Amino acid sequence: MHGEYKIPGGKLVVVDCSEVNGRLAEVRVSGDFFLEPDSALDVIDAALNGLPIDSSQDALASAIEAALDDDVMLYGISAEGVAIAVRRAVDAGAGQ
Amino acid sequence: MTQTFWHDYDWQLIHAPAQSPTMHMALDDVLTTEVSEGRRKPTLRVWEWASSAVVIGRFQSLRNEVDSTAAVRHGIEVVRRISGGGAMFIEPGNTITYSIYAPISMVEGMSIPQAYQLMDTWVIDALAVLGIRASYQPLNDITSPDGKIAGAAQARRGKAVLHHVTMAYDIDSSKMLDVLRIGREKLSDKGTISAAKRVDPLRSQTGLSRETIIERMIETFRLKYRLTEDQLTPDELDRARKLAVDKFASEAWTNVLP
Repeated sequence: MHGEYKIPGGKLVVVDCSEVNGRLAEVRVSGDFFLEPDSALDVIDAALNGLPIDSSQDALASAIEAALDDDVMLYGISAEGVAIAVRRAVDAGAGQ
Repeated sequence: MTQTFWHDYDWQLIHAPAQSPTMHMALDDVLTTEVSEGRRKPTLRVWEWASSAVVIGRFQSLRNEVDSTAAVRHGIEVVRRISGGGAMFIEPGNTITYSIYAPISMVEGMSIPQAYQLMDTWVIDALAVLGIRASYQPLNDITSPDGKIAGAAQARRGKAVLHHVTMAYDIDSSKMLDVLRIGREKLSDKGTISAAKRVDPLRSQTGLSRETIIERMIETFRLKYRLTEDQLTPDELDRARKLAVDKFASEAWTNVLP
C-alpha cells in the first residue's frame, strides 16, 4: 500500500506499508523532510507497525508523538502529516 | 552553551579540484565530524563536480524519486547525502555547490528557519553584489523575484552543523525531468516542486561565468567573516576515500529507503 501527503507549508510525506492480520506491517515513511537525529525515522516506522489497520488519523498521530523523544527535531514533517499519509495508503489499498 | 558568532572563528576555505559525487558525500561526513571533534576549524568548502549526479535526501525513497533506467541512460550516478531535503540534479558546469561546517553553538537556541537564515545571509549578500535580489525562503530555499536559485539542507552532528547549498548556474530541464520523478501530490499545495520550481539560473540572471560567480561569492564571505586558504589534510582525504567506497557507494546506504 502506498500513500502520499504534501504537508501544507511543509514537505512531502510518503508511506509504504502492508497489512498483516488486520494490522499495519512493514511501514516505511519517506520524503524530502528533515529529521534530527536521523534515527527518528526508524522510531516513527516502529511506532506505526502493529497498529490496527483501521486506526484513526488521531490514533496514528498520537502513537507517533508518544514514541518520539522530546529532543527530536522535525522540520517539514509532523506526526499528523504522517498519519494522513498512512490513512491515504490504507484507504487506497482497500480498493476504493 | 553560549551562542557564538561568525567573527569568533578563523574560517578556513577549501576549494579542491573536482571530485566524484560519492567523495563529496564522504567529505561532508568527515569534515562535519572533524569540526564537531574540534580537529578542524570552521570551514567553507566549495565543491567542484567531476561528474553528473542525482543527490537524494537522507529520507527519500530511491525509486520514488529517481528513474534509475533514465539515470543509467544519461550516465548519471545516484547518491544519497547525510542531510534531509529533496533530490538535486547535478551537472558539473551547471551547478554551484558549497558546504559550511560550523560549530553548533552558532545555531543553538535558534529556530530551524533562523538557523538557515543565519547560514544563508552571506550568500544573499554575494548575490546582491551580482545584482540579484535574493532572499531566504522557508523552509530551505533561496529565491529571487524571478524564481528559485538554490536549495539548502542542514544536518547536525555532535558539536557541529553542516549547511550545504546547491545553486543552479544553468539547467537542462528536460534531462532533469527525465531522471527525477515528480509526483502530482508534491505539486498539490504550491503548484511547483523543489527540483522543478520555476528555477531562474544564475547564468541568465548575471551573464557571468560560473567561475566568476564562485570567485565573487568567496570574496563576499572573506570580506564579511575573513577566510584563510586551507587544504584537505592527508588524513581527511584518506578517511573520505574509504567512506566514499565503504558507505556512499554501497547499496546498503543508497538503497536504505528503496
